[in-house]
Amino acid sequence: MTSRATFGDFIRAAHWHLDPATTIHGPPGFRGSAEEVSRSLLRVIIVMRRYVEDMTVALPRQRQRPHSALPAWPRAAVPARGALASAAGFLNTQGAVSRWPAVPAVSPLARRLDAAAESLITGHDLLQTHFGMDRDGGRQHRSEWALIITSPIVIRALLAEFATLSCTIARQGANIALVGPHGRQDSAEAWRALNAACQWLWVLNASIQAAHHREPLSVADGELLRSIPANVAPPRRLPDGSESVTATCEGTITTAERLRHLAWDAAERARWSSAMSVTSMYQVAAANTVTSHNSEVLLRALAARTTHPGLGQISAHLSAAADAARRTRAAWLGTAHALDDVNTDAEGRVSRVAAETRDLALWTGRLSYANPDWTLASGPAQIARTPESLAPDPEQVPPVIAAVHQVSATLTRLARVELEQIRAAAQAGRILVPTRSLPSEFDIPRPFARAPQAHVERLLSHYREAAYASRQITAAIEPAAEATRAPSRTLTAAAAALSHGHLGAHEKDKVPNGHAGAAPDLDADDRPGPVERTLRQLGVDHPDVLRRGAEIDQAGSRLIIDAANELAPGRRRQSAAVLSRSAGAAQVVNHALASGDLRAAALLRRPGRPEREPPEPEP
Amino acid sequence: MSSIPAVRDRLERADSLPAVLDAAHDAFGSMLSAIRAQEDPATGLFIPLVMAAASAAEGRNALAFAPALPSRPLPAAPTRDEPTSAASVQVVTASLAALSELLAARLTDAARDASGHGDQAACRDAARSAWEIHALLTGNGP
Repeated sequence: MTSRATFGDFIRAAHWHLDPATTIHGPPGFRGSAEEVSRSLLRVIIVMRRYVEDMTVALPRQRQRPHSALPAWPRAAVPARGALASAAGFLNTQGAVSRWPAVPAVSPLARRLDAAAESLITGHDLLQTHFGMDRDGGRQHRSEWALIITSPIVIRALLAEFATLSCTIARQGANIALVGPHGRQDSAEAWRALNAACQWLWVLNASIQAAHHREPLSVADGELLRSIPANVAPPRRLPDGSESVTATCEGTITTAERLRHLAWDAAERARWSSAMSVTSMYQVAAANTVTSHNSEVLLRALAARTTHPGLGQISAHLSAAADAARRTRAAWLGTAHALDDVNTDAEGRVSRVAAETRDLALWTGRLSYANPDWTLASGPAQIARTPESLAPDPEQVPPVIAAVHQVSATLTRLARVELEQIRAAAQAGRILVPTRSLPSEFDIPRPFARAPQAHVERLLSHYREAAYASRQITAAIEPAAEATRAPSRTLTAAAAALSHGHLGAHEKDKVPNGHAGAAPDLDADDRPGPVERTLRQLGVDHPDVLRRGAEIDQAGSRLIIDAANELAPGRRRQSAAVLSRSAGAAQVVNHALASGDLRAAALLRRPGRPEREPPEPEP
Repeated sequence: MSSIPAVRDRLERADSLPAVLDAAHDAFGSMLSAIRAQEDPATGLFIPLVMAAASAAEGRNALAFAPALPSRPLPAAPTRDEPTSAASVQVVTASLAALSELLAARLTDAARDASGHGDQAACRDAARSAWEIHALLTGNGP
């Protein structure tokens, strides 16, 4: 639930454009030119290679290990990268391709591929907004998402997306390459090259399938990948009193996300920013005390709303979260008290983060209390919403859980950022005490003096406590968010991605609270093989006959794959291009490759022959 | 810190810029102490008091940058000191609201009368904090 564009918007668009049911690109039967389709396919492959290159940069420690010692998913990235390079090599006959087509393609498949490439390029650009360059040219993280994007969990989710896309493309590309007469000789060669490129896409799919079988991908992994937003702050929103509970939840979530975004930027500037002032720190501590207080009110109401026998332990988790919110409030209040004794060298400036923490206190107040015009100045007559008015129907519980979940994540982030800011400011000598507050034997001819270390340590310990307590709210809410499938459960997946730095053989077992979810099916190509297809074209519809045809196809594929793998390494054999010279043989090879058996790649590899690299696209 | 009636008395009697600044600085500090003693989440005034405490601290810190603020607290003259520790949160809140109004008025005047830019800015910022406290404690805040 975010107002920002997400990676999911673009990867979904890529899948949609390639879906044969999508008709805006023209009838799928129209073939067009082999050169045009090849150029469009090369565009897709080039952008997929960019993604895979980024992955290998993100796994530096993995790159130092021998291939056989790599965990399943990093190991899959290596042949995936090779398969893309090989596929590109077959499409490289006409030189470099432009990033975007100069004119719309004629062939419907080329148009599909161009549209998919555009979606993938935009998705890549979106991910890159989370990175920048430091002064030494190194890669710099620019948001809380950067670490998640480079996590093994997101990388494997991305590889799985590519497996599905590759399978879809290979199916359509090979279909169009092998259908009908080839015409001119050069065109025939181009269609055969296109088919060969598609064969390598099946190899890519098979390598990822193999990793998936060893370490199954979870649904949560894919959801996390798709939820990655563009690195822009959501727009600032303030309530006007007319909002429904649902709209108030959305406003709360947007504000919580915006604050986390602003906090990341603020952390970078602590040593020198004039907005790093005690005034800002007071504002943050006071507003977060109120937000924690409101969160407790909300969580108690939610706990009361979820006491149905069918809802399991949700109510207990929410009660535990409410207790944690109470401790968080006390921690933030203690932080505010600790600030009573210090000052900073920056006079009175209020940071954007500090100003907008009040927004979050306001939104959570509007959600917690019955008064639609509630403000921070609202006095004693504050009546909390009843559990029934907060969530009249059970399906309205998850958005409220999501709101308070997002709030707790923001409280944690703010405590950590404030902690880092104060530490940096103290090192720079920016935390001060008024000399008026020092004993009279201190004769300091200035209004302020550098804060004694004990003052700073006391302050830091309060922020540590606030961060710890805020994290406890999140930990208690996570099971409730998971059980109710609240949209905020991607926060849990994100936390898991950050806490699992390596991909181990049994990593999935270590993910707590069942966050891994069920393993999704990757796109296994279950199209009929040549025998079954011929039977169907003959009009045969008897299930036993069709099943027997499918069994013959499978046995044929197995036989070919086994035979290819048993050939001695030095044995001379035909290249895939030669093998696929006749349409009939190409269909048999394609079917073997589409089986998802990684060993089928042996059909395409020729010992000692380097894979061709394509040129970079024109700028 | 002095009691609320005591600082109110000092503020009313302050007759120079240093005296106003000194009394106002003490008044913000006293308000902060009084609020801290009343911050009970069980009362309906918890949220306005927490936010008012932040504003009191801001006001005090703004005045700490005023060049005309004496480097040491001025000796306090005898005042009509009344203990308030037994008062209810509503009574304390009402007295704080009244004090913040007086503070805002005295500081606004001081900002107008001060000759130095630093004193003017400090008084203006502190007056704004005092108005915020007043708004929060009287239910008229943002």
